[in-house]
Amino acid sequence: MLNNRFQPSKLVMAAYLVPSFLVYFAMLIVPLIMAITFSFFKFSNINNLTFVGLENYKTLFADKYVWISLKNNFFLIVVCMIGQIGIAFILANILNSRLIRFASFHRTVMYFPVTLSAVVVGYIWSMVFDYNYGILAYVLRSLGYKEAVKPWLGQADTVMLFVCIPLIWQYIGFHLVIILSAMTSIDKSIYEMAEIDGATGFRKAVFITFPMIKNTLSVCIMLCISANMKVFDHIIAMTNGGPGFSSSVLAVYTYKKSFSEMNLGYGSALSVGFFVVTSAIIALSRILLSNKKGEIT
Amino acid sequence: MTKMERKIISKAGSFFLNIIPFIFSITCIIPVVWLFYSTLKTSAQFESSIIALPTSFNLENYKYVFKTTPMGLYIWNTSRNTVIILLLVLFFGFVNGYFLSRFRFRFRTVLLGFYVSNLFIPVHALLVPTYILFSFIGLTNRWYSTILPVACMELPVTIFLISSYVSSIPKELEEAAAIDGSSFSRTLFTIILPIVTPVLVTTGIIAFFHCWNEFSYSLILLSKEKLYTISLALTRFKGENRIDYPKMMTAMFISMVPALLLYVLFSKQIIKGMVAGAIKG
Repeated sequence: MLNNRFQPSKLVMAAYLVPSFLVYFAMLIVPLIMAITFSFFKFSNINNLTFVGLENYKTLFADKYVWISLKNNFFLIVVCMIGQIGIAFILANILNSRLIRFASFHRTVMYFPVTLSAVVVGYIWSMVFDYNYGILAYVLRSLGYKEAVKPWLGQADTVMLFVCIPLIWQYIGFHLVIILSAMTSIDKSIYEMAEIDGATGFRKAVFITFPMIKNTLSVCIMLCISANMKVFDHIIAMTNGGPGFSSSVLAVYTYKKSFSEMNLGYGSALSVGFFVVTSAIIALSRILLSNKKGEIT
Repeated sequence: MTKMERKIISKAGSFFLNIIPFIFSITCIIPVVWLFYSTLKTSAQFESSIIALPTSFNLENYKYVFKTTPMGLYIWNTSRNTVIILLLVLFFGFVNGYFLSRFRFRFRTVLLGFYVSNLFIPVHALLVPTYILFSFIGLTNRWYSTILPVACMELPVTIFLISSYVSSIPKELEEAAAIDGSSFSRTLFTIILPIVTPVLVTTGIIAFFHCWNEFSYSLILLSKEKLYTISLALTRFKGENRIDYPKMMTAMFISMVPALLLYVLFSKQIIKGMVAGAIKG
């Protein structure tokens, strides 16, 4: 903090800070206010709206696809948390071992999917899962399991599970790097002492590494929750929410309902609902999980 | 157990331990490798065997994609918007980050709370109202439509990273400069700016990947084909080329090239920067 003596005049400060403030206000806060306002209206088209009171919210609570979408969000959170953070933790323990060669090479390769665009990842994996020309179908067919080949992304009971796979695949590297960097800050002498006492790799991971990096794992969980509440691009690219709405999540449902039917009033109500639920869950996860937030850098 | 046996077991153990990350690393790149070599095959070759390696170095698919679609234009649209967004975000991120870290002014808390709020607002909740807003003021389907919304989504993380970096710079630097008669703006841009370059690079990297891969705002704000960004173009291209996989894959591969090159060249900085951004954000 600089002494006030060195602070520039109010005018200079305003000149620097106000433009970005106004733009930010117009791009984030204004739309939020608009969403709340328009959620009480019905749109026949973009310039023709009528006030309908709480009608849209009544529809929202009775809309079973909203609940399916929310359920799918929760499903993604749980499965991705186990998949991404669990696998990342195991891999990080392996990579942190003295016996491993090329650890930094592996780290670089495993992080690579994170930098890909979600749309591309969605498309690549929908090709992998393709019924006719997919790698997975090819492998199963050549191993003789013809019956096991299904249009996985096309049937309601398997679609969510297969939507998770690309999400897990893409972000393992991300959590891996976070966990690895926390692990390298653990004092090596603790492990050495444990080894003298006869601790195996597994016991070291569970009884030393895990408690030592608990805060970092909390950060991973927070990031995982907020990322999976906001999933959109992947699903649009892979299934477009289908078949029906069986793989739709809140973001996808809001988008599709609003733009495919130009139902912007109801879309606004869905946006508000989506915003309330998501920000509440993100805030809650942060409160519950960040006991010593400043510690992690 | 003899010494020999123990040695063999530990050798075998370390071998298996080394195998696991290798297998996993391979799964991380194999889909992209498959994507790449499939672009060199004709659709007949692809259909006869989807995983066979191409027999010749055949660039027909690339020629086809560039000839039948304005791929060059899509790349230009994406690059132009990315550059503009990066400049905006870095400039305003720097200015805001600097002020928030150095001065305790009246609206500081308000401003800070404002930018923090971004972490709790999911972009997709803003798509519908942003579309309505932009339609009202006639800003949909312009080449610059997505610049401001995307820049605003990138701004907060940039501000936080820069502001925590500025806090680590000794403030005596500015004090000395001020005493020597340097004006505020001059100090800001000739003394502070060069010092914060490393964090500008970091935040620039994060913003680059987000802008290059940006999809949601383009999806709702752009419907004219000549304005498409590359991610958006892919979704349309898929619709038209459902059957011809190698051509679709070629378009996908082309869209990945810039980010891929950047990653190969600067993977260390990219990993560090993106992780720092995510944790601070």
